[in-house]
Amino acid sequence: MTDNPEGTRTGSDDPGGRRTDEWSECLQLIAGSQDRAAFTRFFRHFGPLIKAFALAGSRLSASVADELVQEVMLKVWQKAGGFNPEKASASTWVYTIARNCRTDMFRRLQKFDTPLAEEDVFPDRENEEPFAMLHGRRSEERVRELMKSLPADQMQILAKVYMEGKSHAEAAAELDLPLGTVKSRVRLAIQKLQIQIDR
Amino acid sequence: MANFHPELDLLTEHAAGNLPLAQAACVSVHMNYCEQCQRTSARLQSLGASLFEGLQGEPVGDALLNSVLARLDDEPPLSYARSDWSAGKTPAILQRLMSGDLTDLVWKKITSSLSISYLKTGDPNYEFALYNIKAGGKIPEHTHCGSEITLVLEGGFSDADGTYHQGDFLLRQPGDVHAPTAVQSEDCICLAVLDAPLKFTGWQYRWMNPFLKLRAG
Repeated sequence: MTDNPEGTRTGSDDPGGRRTDEWSECLQLIAGSQDRAAFTRFFRHFGPLIKAFALAGSRLSASVADELVQEVMLKVWQKAGGFNPEKASASTWVYTIARNCRTDMFRRLQKFDTPLAEEDVFPDRENEEPFAMLHGRRSEERVRELMKSLPADQMQILAKVYMEGKSHAEAAAELDLPLGTVKSRVRLAIQKLQIQIDR
Repeated sequence: MANFHPELDLLTEHAAGNLPLAQAACVSVHMNYCEQCQRTSARLQSLGASLFEGLQGEPVGDALLNSVLARLDDEPPLSYARSDWSAGKTPAILQRLMSGDLTDLVWKKITSSLSISYLKTGDPNYEFALYNIKAGGKIPEHTHCGSEITLVLEGGFSDADGTYHQGDFLLRQPGDVHAPTAVQSEDCICLAVLDAPLKFTGWQYRWMNPFLKLRAG
């Protein structure tokens, strides 16, 4: 699994609300001093996850998956300065880069001729005030915590949708379930994760 | 402040990166006007991140690490000047598709009160167009052969179900019939994304149907 053997993975917050975990620190070292040792640590942890994400859903070959790992990690290097630990965790930040790169990769393989990159679809919205950021971080923690208690059938569908990149309709066909069942499981899960509750 | 939003299913597929490009672009434009959906989307993305962290890692060789390290010098870090994002402006994604601003577009006149400007997203299954309805003007009653997303960019319009203003997001399903009318005070510009052509239902306009081919791509 992805647990860190040194056990330094669990994040903690200092009273100033600053996130202090290993991966956020790595990103800050990369941004601040182009620290290659930090980049290497980051690569060894996230590279295998990015590759697993690339291979989930079996739409990409192993060599294309390696290409995706390279692409994502180069973006990590280039964009580390834009990472804001007060806004999101390092893994959320990497996940969104990996998702965007994977979608772009699918479109390249389908020979889409488009002026848009997935980064245009998910722009970095820099209008957030400190209060909104703190709020966002807290709900991120809450989602992470509540995920642990989701029933297996809901987790399975979320994994299909998010990790394998399947539409609700494709997930329904693969699991041999009615579309309505898939949609209601996704909705139930999202309700349990309190994603639509504003507090 | 938008009052009509994409449904949760659509926001989820969007956050997971699974929507067709043309629809994803529409949801993205809506979020430009809607902080509530921005927040929901951020949480839906942290849900994805949580699944990502839990993946069983696939081995990545040192050769790959070394080839990335060797390329770092060619990929200088980007500098992050704070962007001048603001809620009122034409969304950046649209500016990119229009290669300019609303005033630079070429409009094709369909009826006396409706002009259309087609934008190219590259998505082979969806037509992505801007509609300009003159103030108080009406789009002849039509039905949808497929799905239609409408998003108001400027002005507003109403139909039998309600009145829609800037940022409002509507998803019409096949068979929904309506006759949108722009508000009296100003022209209405909206984004319309279709996966099948419209069909006018009134006898005066039915002759136009063969000309309303889907302009996807």
